[in-house]
Amino acid sequence: MAQFVKKDDDRDEEAEYSPFLGIEKGAVLQEARVFNDPQLDSRRCSQVITKLLYLLNQGETFTKVEATEVFFAVTKLFQSKDIGLRRMVYLMIKELSPSSDEVIIVTSSLMKDMNSKTDVYRANAIRVLCRITDGTLLTQIERYLKQAIVDKNPVVASAALVSGIHLLQTNPEIVKRWSNEVQEAVQSRAALVQFHALALLHQIRQNDRLAVSKLVTSLTRGTVRSPLAQCLLIRYTSQVIRESSMNNQSGERPFYDFLEGCLRHKAEMVIFEAARAITELNGVTSRELTPAITVLQLFLSSSKPVLRFAAVRTLNKVAMTHPMAVTNCNIDMESLISDQNRSIATLAITTLLKTGNESGVDRLMKQITNFMSDIADEFKIVVVDAIRSLCLKFPLKYRTLMNFLSNILREEGGFEYKKAIVDSIVILIRDIPDAKESGLLHLCEFIEDCEFTYLSTQILHFLGVEGPKTSDPSKYIRYIYNRVILENATVRASAVSTLAKFGAMVDSLKPRIFVLLRRCLYDNDDEVRDRATLYLNTLGGDGSVIETDKDVKEFLFGSLDIPLVNLETSLKNYEPTEEPFDISSVPKEVKSQPLAEKKAAGKKSTALGAPPASLTSASSAPVELTEAETEYAVNVVKHIFDRHVVFQYNCTNTIPEQLLENVVVVVDASEAEEFAELATKPLKALPYDTPGQTFVAFEKPEGVPAVGRFSNVLKFIVKEVDPSTGEAEDDGVEDEYQLEDSEIVAADYMLKVRVSNFRNAWESLGPDFERVDEYGLGPRESLSEAVNAVINLLGMQPCEGTEVVAANSRSHACLLSGVYIGNVKVLVRLSFGVDSAKEVAMKLAVRSEDESVSDAIHEIVAN
Amino acid sequence: MGLWEVVLNWLRSLFFKQEMELSLIGLQNAGKTSLVNVVATGGYSEDMIPTVGFNMRKVTKGNVTIKLWDLGGQPRFRSMWERYCRAVSAIVYVVDAADHNNLSISKSELHDLLSKPALSGIPLLVLGNKIDKAGALSKDALTDQMGLRSITDREVCCYMISCKNSTNIDSVIDWLIKHSKSKN
Repeated sequence: MAQFVKKDDDRDEEAEYSPFLGIEKGAVLQEARVFNDPQLDSRRCSQVITKLLYLLNQGETFTKVEATEVFFAVTKLFQSKDIGLRRMVYLMIKELSPSSDEVIIVTSSLMKDMNSKTDVYRANAIRVLCRITDGTLLTQIERYLKQAIVDKNPVVASAALVSGIHLLQTNPEIVKRWSNEVQEAVQSRAALVQFHALALLHQIRQNDRLAVSKLVTSLTRGTVRSPLAQCLLIRYTSQVIRESSMNNQSGERPFYDFLEGCLRHKAEMVIFEAARAITELNGVTSRELTPAITVLQLFLSSSKPVLRFAAVRTLNKVAMTHPMAVTNCNIDMESLISDQNRSIATLAITTLLKTGNESGVDRLMKQITNFMSDIADEFKIVVVDAIRSLCLKFPLKYRTLMNFLSNILREEGGFEYKKAIVDSIVILIRDIPDAKESGLLHLCEFIEDCEFTYLSTQILHFLGVEGPKTSDPSKYIRYIYNRVILENATVRASAVSTLAKFGAMVDSLKPRIFVLLRRCLYDNDDEVRDRATLYLNTLGGDGSVIETDKDVKEFLFGSLDIPLVNLETSLKNYEPTEEPFDISSVPKEVKSQPLAEKKAAGKKSTALGAPPASLTSASSAPVELTEAETEYAVNVVKHIFDRHVVFQYNCTNTIPEQLLENVVVVVDASEAEEFAELATKPLKALPYDTPGQTFVAFEKPEGVPAVGRFSNVLKFIVKEVDPSTGEAEDDGVEDEYQLEDSEIVAADYMLKVRVSNFRNAWESLGPDFERVDEYGLGPRESLSEAVNAVINLLGMQPCEGTEVVAANSRSHACLLSGVYIGNVKVLVRLSFGVDSAKEVAMKLAVRSEDESVSDAIHEIVAN
Repeated sequence: MGLWEVVLNWLRSLFFKQEMELSLIGLQNAGKTSLVNVVATGGYSEDMIPTVGFNMRKVTKGNVTIKLWDLGGQPRFRSMWERYCRAVSAIVYVVDAADHNNLSISKSELHDLLSKPALSGIPLLVLGNKIDKAGALSKDALTDQMGLRSITDREVCCYMISCKNSTNIDSVIDWLIKHSKSKN
């Protein structure tokens, strides 16, 4: 059938215009009446069906009535013995796929065709019948299908096997009974049959790992002739390799020899499949990679574009993990830069950028510039990303790369593309100090003619932060003030903020900034005027040129370390009174818990009289204090303040017949000497399946990371609830429920805070309070397990993705950041090493703003 | 048959070739598919499977080519009978004359079908099958019980046949040939 359709396609291409041009559903449905003629013209009927199929494939839909009419008319065509027409009838039935109560009318005819002497009838009837059949009918025709699987004619066998693959979704138990026949078909001499049989056999056994492994083992000994089947086998083999998880540490990877052998196969597709499988092996070694890279290199100079594309795409992926292995192919890839196919050229470029050395950068950039305008935006983004990482790799080349970025920034492009460029420039400015001035100027030029409000505001904000620190801040003012004159309100407002930042930081510019800001007071947008007024006041715009004080700088440059959601709720709850709104009373923890609870937490801290400004406010993740599926589910969230600790117990009652009242958690702090209980806030009522909170607050010495263990007992009055009415009885019984212990550990005093650039942060903290020591962690299951254990112990934020340990690596470096009690910034560098006996050693380097804190971190680990 | 006669027959069929299209309907197990087999090949088999959907057969008798739509008789197919009866030369309705229990259903299905406007005027041939069985109805009784006399808008004919013993099959074929339309 596929062949027939293909023939049609070919004809389309040859014709100058499509023979189906301008055909309409209504007219074709009229034409379909020829199906009912007593004297059938099979040629004509075939043409009409072709048109109907064309319409269906163009997305035209038939109404229920139309589809039914056409379907029954088509069934009448079974009277014709014309083979071509019969094929079209099969196709039409499959495409129309009428409702099951109608389609059953063709069953008998299809079953007859399935046992016909004409092979084409048999194959196609099987496909259609399996498409329309249901479970009960399937058992009736099962016998024929089993026969068909081992049919001498490959077309028939393939049809039955493919049908089996489809039927496995709906009637797995029936198809599984065909295993013997399918296994026989795997040995078929016909390529297609072998391919389909292998696919079906694998699907039948797919959930049985052992069976799949056996299948692969027996077939890799070499009975597979069909290249397609061989490709499948390679995929199944890599699956088996993945799952066998290297338990034989002797080094030899199972089945690697088979994959390597496939690299010498006759068929290119098998070679490629094997090469790709090898490159994707988990923790592949460079010795294993070499033969695969060699064949891919050969493909690079193939005359077939598809091979070149496949090879360069695979090499591109390999370059991310094993750049050294790919360098051998660099010469071949350089010639691909001028490939006619732009996808190949782009992949070649980006691969070269990943693997290239410093000296080749200039030449590469020249070549890239030539073809940038020819490729689509998404490829351009790929190139920009590659250039960014290249620039970070070779900082000395920033001038070339920055020029390139600014050039493409001036050209046409969509938002995503421009954003990628701007992001790259921003990152380069941040990480390469030399690039700052030129980068900022490029950005300034860009916003002169930028159609994207989002990008303009982002750049203006960035200018405000970085601009004043440059050698000549005044040259940026013109660009910024131009925005105030020319842009929309959003951009104007952010330009005003940027101006204010310049004014705050650069005293010499202050008078001029004030002039500009005063002009903004006449802007026709509220926000712009409001901002200008605000900044004029905070900067002391009454004419006196004074040194900007620290508070103002903090206000202008400090980040808002409060989640916006929390701020919004707090502002909504604020009632206009004499007392001004206090921003520091806004809770800082990000939680998706109900509003009532946040209020409660807020109230608590003020009730305790803790000075809100000194909140460290680290809140732990919930820790379960009950087993899963017990009567009452309780977890605890620890809120850590400078002088206090608040336990928030989230309780859920899972018994529909009970109402709990006066719920408290009685905490025994006898094992936590430094803590003194201050207050308890009981939960009034805890109905079924509605979570509620009760709080217990402790006082502790200020600024001391006190640790301790607390035993918890849940106490409450239980009342029976009538399940039918939902009303509780008046009398309750006092009861208690033992919870698991909770703990305050040193990590609880650590707030996970991410730093954007660890290296800069590390340098800026300086070595004054650096503490370095080495520890042996003993035998560990794996390096990554050890790394995670240390991260959890310290409760710090892993930076720059260093929490991920590459598979099979013997050493690892991990960067952590956090804020310790007393608002002390802490950075940690961990270096891990593992020896053959799985003994893990760790070097811990801590830098912080306080000597004692650095020591404290070491104590956490030492204990 | 002598050579001359064969040539003559061929010539005659060339000039006087006739075609007809028939729908074969009736409740399940009435003997429709058996009738097709008997008409087409003269063979009879006790062991038949129910028709799921329809069978299409072409039979040539003399100079007449008959297209037979042999439709399944199970309830789920009955609503589709009408679609295969439109524009046929005649509707052949097969009844199991020995199955008294289902006669009333058979009758109502027949009258339902004939009430369809698309089928008005199409000649109807009712065949009482299985007269070889003991307790089979007579022709008069069948005509009565099927309410054939009330059908006035078309030509109605009734034969009692037995596919098993090939009783009266010839008369059926003769009747059919008489109703065939000329090709021209």
